[in-house]
Amino acid sequence: MSTVTQPPSSLSPAPPNAPIDPIFRQIRDLVYKVSGIYQLEDKLYLLADGCNRRIKQLNVRSPREYWDHLTAHPSRDGEIRHLLNELTIGETCLFRSQAQIDALRKVILPELMADKTKQVVKRLRFWSAGCSTGEEAYTLAITALEEMEVRLKGWNVEIIATDLNDRSIEAGKSGIYRDYALRNTNEFYKRKYFVPAEGTKLQVRPEVKKLVTFKRLNLADDAQMLFMKGMDLICCCNVLIYFDGPSKSKVIGHFFSDLNPGGYFFLGISESLMRLNDQFHLVHFPGAIGYWKPTPKSDKP
Amino acid sequence: MSAPLDLDIRKRVQGIEVMPAIPSVLLPLLRLVRTPAEEVNMDDIVSLVSYDNTIAAQCLRVAASPLFASAEPPKTVSRAVMVLGLKRVESILLTCCMGRALPVRKWVIDPVAFWRHSLGCALVCRKFCEKLESMDGEKAYTAGLLHDIGLLVNCVVFPDEFTAALNLAKEEQIPLDVAERTSMGFTHCESGQVLAAQWNLSAELIQVIAHHHAVYQATQAQSLVAIVHLCDLLCRMRNLGYGYYERMKVDMVGDPAWDIIMKEHHELELVDLAQFTFELDGAMGEIADLVSTILSTAAA
Repeated sequence: MSTVTQPPSSLSPAPPNAPIDPIFRQIRDLVYKVSGIYQLEDKLYLLADGCNRRIKQLNVRSPREYWDHLTAHPSRDGEIRHLLNELTIGETCLFRSQAQIDALRKVILPELMADKTKQVVKRLRFWSAGCSTGEEAYTLAITALEEMEVRLKGWNVEIIATDLNDRSIEAGKSGIYRDYALRNTNEFYKRKYFVPAEGTKLQVRPEVKKLVTFKRLNLADDAQMLFMKGMDLICCCNVLIYFDGPSKSKVIGHFFSDLNPGGYFFLGISESLMRLNDQFHLVHFPGAIGYWKPTPKSDKP
Repeated sequence: MSAPLDLDIRKRVQGIEVMPAIPSVLLPLLRLVRTPAEEVNMDDIVSLVSYDNTIAAQCLRVAASPLFASAEPPKTVSRAVMVLGLKRVESILLTCCMGRALPVRKWVIDPVAFWRHSLGCALVCRKFCEKLESMDGEKAYTAGLLHDIGLLVNCVVFPDEFTAALNLAKEEQIPLDVAERTSMGFTHCESGQVLAAQWNLSAELIQVIAHHHAVYQATQAQSLVAIVHLCDLLCRMRNLGYGYYERMKVDMVGDPAWDIIMKEHHELELVDLAQFTFELDGAMGEIADLVSTILSTAAA
């Protein structure tokens, strides 16, 4: 639901209309192959910017020569990782995937509520794993608050937002966002759930913050992961792309056991669990893909 | 399908005179499709493609589309045939022929939505077969392209009833075949089957057209029917349906069609369905371009 590849705000992107060296299309395809991150044609300048920053740091003469670094050089795997870091500097936005939000509201919440009808305490727990600066967690919180006005009335919704980066956590706690992070947030929600902060920035209202608990957590830390039990929904978008296969499988194994039976797991827009976990059940929602943890009584969603 | 209804549909479908805009090229083309590759004469294909200027121009434009993956856009019909190969040319010709199937004024459904769905399904079927061993991708392309031809029949022969079914489907957000059954008493599968028989399509294609919503009823070519069924579902979940979402959740691996394919193609378990879905998303722009090519030349 969150991460989008954008340059850090301190660097000004090249104007989108400037001609782009065709080699960046090759790099785009390579990046897509290794990470699933795909820059559409009109966003190619962002990829070019990321490459240009690496070109400068490496003191390479041309994009063509940089291509060799990415493909032929002995340190090519490391360089691809550096480039991915450049391309995924944690600039995310709220309401990144409307399709996932729709799936949550129209399918997942009704299912979870039906599963819990017999429970005395009406409680739902969502986890934004690798939450960066909190955009996804607050998206979940706003969605929950909207639902709490109608069918989730009287329910307790808890959102846990974790990240490895202390600075991201602090920024998340402050809940202050620039226009760019709010580009997918409609005016109605902006008025309802935000207050003006410095300049043109907006800050989430206390009632939204109240639903979200931020804490530092390393997804690769088994001990910490074992304590994250009883989740109904886990979102871990565009985070696992930085992990190698075995660590990825281990993290996903933890997610599986941390979820309640019948719970759902969302990955980023181009990510897949194939060959990483065969316990989750892939399901298609309109425009989105999710993974379901089977309940003991049925192995079909 | 009950006998009197079958008779009714058959009678009304056979009575259509506006339909056969296609067959002047389609019939020899379908004969060609069934000819063993080694017996096909390339010159016959070139003359078939060149038979109609519009078709020839359309073929060249479609052949230049990245979806048909030719290294360099062909400039002449004979070059196109050489570059693309027989199977591809058949797919392209069929695509172009289908584009002319229905006079513009007859459309009850949105023609853009219809072509986006049919072409999307055709391409997804072909792509899906690339993941399987020994499954003919071009045959699957044809099956995907033609699976909903019953909707064309419904547009022409039963426009009022079909409009009511479409409205019902959209209002209730239910699958179109369910709405057809409710308001018309039969579905595009049945009307398509009648037309397919009249056009003398192959038994396998008829199975696909008749049973793509109920795979287990297929008596032949079950894997092909199952592939079209799943690719059809996938298209509908990725905004390549008929303008609305008829299901909010689909479990393809849990669908009986998955098991049917798995019985003949164990390699299916190696298919990354999520990645496959993203590949389809990546091809959306190209599908839209192809549809506008087909519709613009069809209207010309």
